[in-house]
Amino acid sequence: MKTLILGLGNPILSDDGVGIRVARALEGRLNQPDVTVMETSVAGLDFLELLVGYNRAIIIDAIQTKEGKVGQVYRLEPEAFNATRHASTPHDVNFATALELGNRLGLALPQQIIIFAIEVENVTTYSEECTPKVRDAIPVCVEMVMQEITSGDSKPVPKMSR
Amino acid sequence: MKRITIDPITRLEGHGKIEIFLNDDGDVENAYLQIPELRGFEKFCEGRPVEEMPRIVPRICGVCPGAHHMASAKATDAVYHVDPPPAAKKLRELFYCAHVLHSHIAHFYALAAPDFVLGPTSDPAQRNILGLIAKVGLEVGGEVIKHRAYAQDIQAVIGGKATHPVCGLPGGMSKAITEEERKDFEEKAKSLVEFGKFSIKLFNDLVLANKEYLELITGDIYTMKSYYMGMVDNNNKVSFYEGDIRVVDPEGKEVAKFKPADYLDYIAEHTEPWSYLKFPFLKKVGWKGLVDGKDSGVYRVNSLARLNVSDGMATPLAQTEYERMFDTLGGKPVHATLAFHWARLIELLYAAERLLELCRDGEITSPEVRTIPTATPDEGVGVVEAPRGTLIHHYQTDEKGIVEKVNLIVATGHNYPAMNMSVKRAAQGLIKKGKVASEGLLNMVEMAFRAYDPCMACATHTLPGQMPLEIVIYNSKGEVAERLSRL
Repeated sequence: MKTLILGLGNPILSDDGVGIRVARALEGRLNQPDVTVMETSVAGLDFLELLVGYNRAIIIDAIQTKEGKVGQVYRLEPEAFNATRHASTPHDVNFATALELGNRLGLALPQQIIIFAIEVENVTTYSEECTPKVRDAIPVCVEMVMQEITSGDSKPVPKMSR
Repeated sequence: MKRITIDPITRLEGHGKIEIFLNDDGDVENAYLQIPELRGFEKFCEGRPVEEMPRIVPRICGVCPGAHHMASAKATDAVYHVDPPPAAKKLRELFYCAHVLHSHIAHFYALAAPDFVLGPTSDPAQRNILGLIAKVGLEVGGEVIKHRAYAQDIQAVIGGKATHPVCGLPGGMSKAITEEERKDFEEKAKSLVEFGKFSIKLFNDLVLANKEYLELITGDIYTMKSYYMGMVDNNNKVSFYEGDIRVVDPEGKEVAKFKPADYLDYIAEHTEPWSYLKFPFLKKVGWKGLVDGKDSGVYRVNSLARLNVSDGMATPLAQTEYERMFDTLGGKPVHATLAFHWARLIELLYAAERLLELCRDGEITSPEVRTIPTATPDEGVGVVEAPRGTLIHHYQTDEKGIVEKVNLIVATGHNYPAMNMSVKRAAQGLIKKGKVASEGLLNMVEMAFRAYDPCMACATHTLPGQMPLEIVIYNSKGEVAERLSRL
């Protein structure tokens, strides 16, 4: 299965870059011809364009939720974001809108998209370092992604959190 | 006093907040646009070799990496006192045209058009790119994605990476393009020219042909008489990559034309206690507060500003459209803030035509793309017109080229005073006697600054992609009277 592992974020903005750090750690662990590891700082339409042509996409990103515990790792599916599409961002090309646009246009998007999101603390200070709790979550997230990849291709893994 | 908070703004790259203060009568007393702070960029850069800057700065922003990369590469040329060979400059400009196309296409179709095609007060669930393609046709959506991908492919081949270019070096470019690549670019450029024409036709048919929208564009609530700033070439035509900075007054008269390196003689920055962002203004006119007119040093950048400061477009199709816009809107300069959208489409066409010209330039595949620097580095300024407006990078280094000081003035920074004023004017025109609680009216307030295509920062990727929008209305005692939440 042609798989894309995509680390999202800004690698010089503290915790915002955690997804990229996880992707970089995975790159050293994975040596499979059908798995591509990529990092990017883009969103919206650019993001959509990167997914085209893969059967499966595993996305790693930072998240900030209302009562989230910093360092917590969530395994999410795109449906988790559908609820917010019309409500919270009525006219932006956010993640869910971009995916729906791609589907309507018939782009070859992955049949399976899994998102690993790490609850973050600081996304407003320029730094190449994550805050300690987020840094500690990197190996946890790496293991979760490894398990996702190796636990039988399209079989969904039970929802996990730390 | 009542207080309305729109926090954060939708469709903005980065997070922001509009606060609207009502007086006892419920009319708008004041309105402010607040932008959260990103800290420590200068400190982050200090102590690094200056040639790393073009690779670091694209990370400032996930939206305009190409613009930061080019401004930075030009600043490093200046730091090392080196002039890139002609083929390198052309290749940079070719790359840069693709960058402008990529950005302008997204802004129009995803961010600007839904307000006009669906209507500014239409159901917000439809007022997005999905609603747009439902109305104008799925094939238009396909064309948007296809041409965005063309522009992106060209940037990726020249830039060396899909999204964060690494091609620009002090003195030129890291590699030349091959004849095969040139041919491929040429085909894509041809298609982009057609797409530019199509986009203008779409705007004509859906926006300009609608009397109501034309009145909205030219109406008082979206009008602001300011100075304008933008880069021009030797013939005073719009230029994105290289040229002098020209400034015109609210009557369209040239009041300054200067070399990028002299920007500090012309631009100063005012600070306000309520904002950590500074307010740039024209030094020679002076800061008179957030007011428009000839006595106020507030100026604007971005698409309409570039067209206002220039004598025309350097390519034929764009020139025709340039003339038509000014004819339709009553001559230069145009002060209608919503006309930034129209000007952006004219620039889209120009960027495509210029891209095609460069693809056909006999020198474009020359391997001579680098002049190796030999001088001792010290200080330099690099300026490009980012899709959002004039972008200034200014670096100082020690004699080994280690960065000691960094100063950036970004496009959204230049427009920050004007955006505050545009938001206030729109709010005053739309919100009367405190009756504001309609999403449509607040969207029309947002349209006032969305026209500037603002890009505040780079922390745009944290899930769920954008923060929710919240509108809080405070009564005259400062208590929450009403809360509109899009959570």
